[in-house]
Amino acid sequence: MMNHFMILAVLLPLRTCHTAYSQQGSLIFPVTYFNISKDLALQRLLVEWDVDKSAHDAELAMSFEIQVHRADEATVWTDFHNVTLDKSGKPLHWIWDSDLPLECMSHSVRIRSKAEASKIWSRWSPWETVLGLDASDSYGPKIFPEEKVIEEGFGITLCCIGRKGQIIKEFFLDSDVHYFNKTNRQVGLLTVKNVTVRGASRHVSVYCKEPCSEEPCYAHALFFVGRPPDTPSNFSCQTRNMTTVTCTWSQGRDTYLYGRHSSKHTLFEEFSQNLVPCTVTCSEQSSQCSCSWDIGQQRIYNITLTVVNALGRKTATEAFDVTHRIYPLPPFQLWEECTDTEIKLHWNHQNKGIELFCQTEVLQSNGKAELYNGTAQLHHTSITLGGLQPYTKYTARVRCGAAKNFWRWSEWSKTQTIRTKEAAPSGKVDIWREITPVLRGRNVTLFWKQEPGFRANGRSISYEITWEKVEDRSKPECISLSSAYNSTRIFIDNHPYRITIMAKNNVNYSLPSILIIPGATGIEKMLNGSELKEEKVNGTEDGILISWEPRLMYDSYVIDWCNFLMSQHCDLQWERFGPNTSSALIKSAAFVPGVRYNFRVYGSAANRASLLEKKTGYLKEQPPEFCTEVKNIELSNHAVTLFWDPCPTNKTDRGFLRGYHIYVSPVQEDCNLKGSKKHVHSDGSVLCKYTIENPEERRYTVKHLTSNTKYKLAVVAYTGGGEFPELNFTYIDTPFDSDVMYLLVLLVIVPSLIVAICVWKMKWVKECCCPVIPSPNKSKVLSFKEFKIGSEKVLKISDCTPDTLAVDNKVEAQKLHLQSLMSSTPTEDKTDIHNSSWDYHNENEKRNFTSTPTPQTHTWFENLAYSSHLAVESDPYQLPETLETSKAEVSAVLYQPQYYLSILNDDAPSSPREAAGRKTNLRYISQTEMHCSGRRH
Amino acid sequence: MGTRDRCSCHGCSHLSLLPTPTPHVAMSHCSSARGAPSPSSPSSSSPAVAKGLFLLWAVPARSTQPPTLQQIHALVRHMAEDARELFLFYEQDQRLAFSWLCRTNASLEWLRGTVVMGTGGLRALHGAMAHMDRALQGITQHQRDLNPPGAPILRRLDSTRLKVRGLLSNLEGVLHAHGIVPTVPTLPRLPAATRVFQQKVEGCRILWSYARFTEQLSAQLEERGLRARREEQRQQRRGRRRSRRPARS
Repeated sequence: MMNHFMILAVLLPLRTCHTAYSQQGSLIFPVTYFNISKDLALQRLLVEWDVDKSAHDAELAMSFEIQVHRADEATVWTDFHNVTLDKSGKPLHWIWDSDLPLECMSHSVRIRSKAEASKIWSRWSPWETVLGLDASDSYGPKIFPEEKVIEEGFGITLCCIGRKGQIIKEFFLDSDVHYFNKTNRQVGLLTVKNVTVRGASRHVSVYCKEPCSEEPCYAHALFFVGRPPDTPSNFSCQTRNMTTVTCTWSQGRDTYLYGRHSSKHTLFEEFSQNLVPCTVTCSEQSSQCSCSWDIGQQRIYNITLTVVNALGRKTATEAFDVTHRIYPLPPFQLWEECTDTEIKLHWNHQNKGIELFCQTEVLQSNGKAELYNGTAQLHHTSITLGGLQPYTKYTARVRCGAAKNFWRWSEWSKTQTIRTKEAAPSGKVDIWREITPVLRGRNVTLFWKQEPGFRANGRSISYEITWEKVEDRSKPECISLSSAYNSTRIFIDNHPYRITIMAKNNVNYSLPSILIIPGATGIEKMLNGSELKEEKVNGTEDGILISWEPRLMYDSYVIDWCNFLMSQHCDLQWERFGPNTSSALIKSAAFVPGVRYNFRVYGSAANRASLLEKKTGYLKEQPPEFCTEVKNIELSNHAVTLFWDPCPTNKTDRGFLRGYHIYVSPVQEDCNLKGSKKHVHSDGSVLCKYTIENPEERRYTVKHLTSNTKYKLAVVAYTGGGEFPELNFTYIDTPFDSDVMYLLVLLVIVPSLIVAICVWKMKWVKECCCPVIPSPNKSKVLSFKEFKIGSEKVLKISDCTPDTLAVDNKVEAQKLHLQSLMSSTPTEDKTDIHNSSWDYHNENEKRNFTSTPTPQTHTWFENLAYSSHLAVESDPYQLPETLETSKAEVSAVLYQPQYYLSILNDDAPSSPREAAGRKTNLRYISQTEMHCSGRRH
Repeated sequence: MGTRDRCSCHGCSHLSLLPTPTPHVAMSHCSSARGAPSPSSPSSSSPAVAKGLFLLWAVPARSTQPPTLQQIHALVRHMAEDARELFLFYEQDQRLAFSWLCRTNASLEWLRGTVVMGTGGLRALHGAMAHMDRALQGITQHQRDLNPPGAPILRRLDSTRLKVRGLLSNLEGVLHAHGIVPTVPTLPRLPAATRVFQQKVEGCRILWSYARFTEQLSAQLEERGLRARREEQRQQRRGRRRSRRPARS
């Protein structure tokens, strides 16, 4: 029993679950309430519906399929809305944003539902429609939207609704913006994608027109193309007087929306939760905006700046304590009190009650600026500027910042120009002299200049010069010269003198500078220094380097020189150096290249100067002027000695003369003489160059010349700056060489004489070397009874007694005949057979020769002493290899009697060729003449 | 200056003041090459200086003497030219060169009718200009919504408005001299256009009417001036004859 109960207890819930599940699988909750409305401002459809309360109670998870349908189109939108219902029983909502103005045409919506667990959708609800204006009567066509602001780069769709029964014929924009339109129906559509408008005015007008032309047939609208505002940048607030706060910011790019469409700026204070009562002003040029308001008692702010236009909204925030944002007003009304080295500067400021820290900038006349920081003083608005130069103009200006919680400096005040008071001249005047001995004394020309660091410290300055005898100071003499002078001449007798110079202004004198002129007894030596050797010095790019041997006894050294040595006023210059100096680079703006400058180095001890060394040099040496001409020439077959005069001094004073260059070259060709260097002349010719490094040299011998040749020669002087660029050539002709004549005689005339003698004694020579070949017809061999065949004599066998007689068979005879032919073929011909274009791969193929062998009668005389063939008739049918082999056998077949006998067998030639061969190979060798060759058979 | 002579296309040479027959779209019916003022081609500086000097003469500032009728005539002549140029510029700048949009035959009430001379005529002219001043203010305001500050159309509207105010000042001077205090008649207020496009078109129509009005006014004043000069010459001749008769006798 118990067990049964247990089983039932388990089975019943299972069944309940199964039943519930089965019911859910087929549960349908159709839409019980359904309503749609339109929000024209936002161009959206608001859909509201509900299902049975039981679904809410069951808190079912449900899906809704919603379809939107436009009047002239199929379903334009289908969406699935999933929601879990709650027990509150509130209706469900769905929003649909339309891309087309809802006025353009009617929109219908329907909906169906399905429980998540169910597989079956409910039936569709009936279509709910919101009417468009296409369904209503109107006076004329209308465009929607009538006005709209769209963002650059985005699109817009417009419609033009024609009157009932009318169609829209034209629908267009007044801009070059690309668009698509649909016309010829009651509702015309126009779509613009990715709108970009050029030009300052970014609005586009839209027109549409029905087929008629009266005024009611037209409609127009307009849309603006702009940008949303940028986030404000550099948003910052500050106060200048602790009364008013001003916030500034940068509004960013142009939005292209103007007037009432332009961006609106508002400031909201978070602590007080109030809009900040200020009027925003924006600069057109800088796009900077600002807004100011009175702060009252509030010190801490948290401001939110909002910039909004039709396309968007951007914000920026700034939290600050006003006391930390003090931007003081600039100081004004500056005035000063000053001494010769100090200025006390005073000013006023409007920042009452704010403790300020001020900074003064002092600008010197040389452009150097110095900053002086003032201490933080609430009421004391002045600063003392010390360490200034007397009688110097300074420009001062002041700025201030809050001493506590410094935020930023104020603007600079207006500048105040101040001159410090005068003081005695500071520094010394450097004095130098030039002493000229005259009758009963000396003329001393005094020169002076302000030492580096000398300052006049006053409006006007003069120089006071005093001179007195060193031993007797009773009667000093004195002159005063204005600042325009820097030299004067005084006369002194032969006693030593002390000369003093001081600068003087309205306040006082400078420290004195003293110069002692020694007595005339030792002055000659001191002045001339003629025993001193003048030493050459080198110039550099910057000046002329002078060095001297330092001496311990001097407390300073002086170098003097004339800037313009050649002119009457030589412009004496001097420079003073310390005791440890032994060289100096003398610079002068007057130094020019190619001018010699003389320097004197003095040692000075206790204001007495002694000449130590003399130097001379150039800033830069220049080539000499043309000065060297060949004066005399001594000429030999292979050498020439040149003589020239020394260059005049005035021609070589542009540099130190270092020597001479000799240039030599044959006139017709380039030069290549032993011991010379090659030099390419400006005309491109190559010259031989010899360098003489002794400026005293007056002659030079150029060797290794070729006889009977025209040469050009030139001599030019050179300095450290080079040589005169043009060569003045002297032309010479080297004499004829007789040795060559002797050689010619030896090589030409003697052999000629020998030849002549040979010719003269030709017969003798001939007989000796080449004996005459006798005529075969005169031979005894042919002294037989005449039996002629044609023109040829024929020896009858019966008339002669042969030494040997052999008869070969026909084949052998022919072979011998061919061999004999080949032996007589010249080597050239044989080679030609190989090399010529006549290439016979098959001797049967080409037999068309230009020369046809014709039987000819030849008489062969083989003189073994000559061993030459007088005549050869080659057989073109002969193969080259055969020729080769046959040639080797030639000597063996010479004078074979059986070979000649074949000619007798005339009546049986095997072929015309054989016959011809036989005929052409009659060879006769005189047995009587065989001795010539020294051979006997 | 002289633009009218150079312009030969319809709606440009008399354009100005005659309605164009074709209501069809003719956006470029008067190109700048033909002499119409181009929105992007400001006049050269020397004519501008001449205009400035002329205005100094025509609209004297703080003068104790009332302006002469000659000054008023000259100013009206200048305003007629300026009004025509402004209209053409506006029409082109606003891309409203559809003749059927601006160039309507219906004139504005306050710019309608022939101006009669005498103080009555001057008072009527004063009233028209006072309305025109306000209308120009409205057009400028609307254009500020469409153009960046300092746009050429805004500068031109300001300039025209200054001339209108100059004429108003001259007229007030003359009327004061005659002991008349000018008053501006109130007109029934028409519903203001709310849509930007409507505002643009309305502005264009006002400028069109204004250009026609000033041209007619200028022509009338010119004709009357000629007539007056002729009359003066006739009287001078008569005077000379009279003076000769006693000499003969």
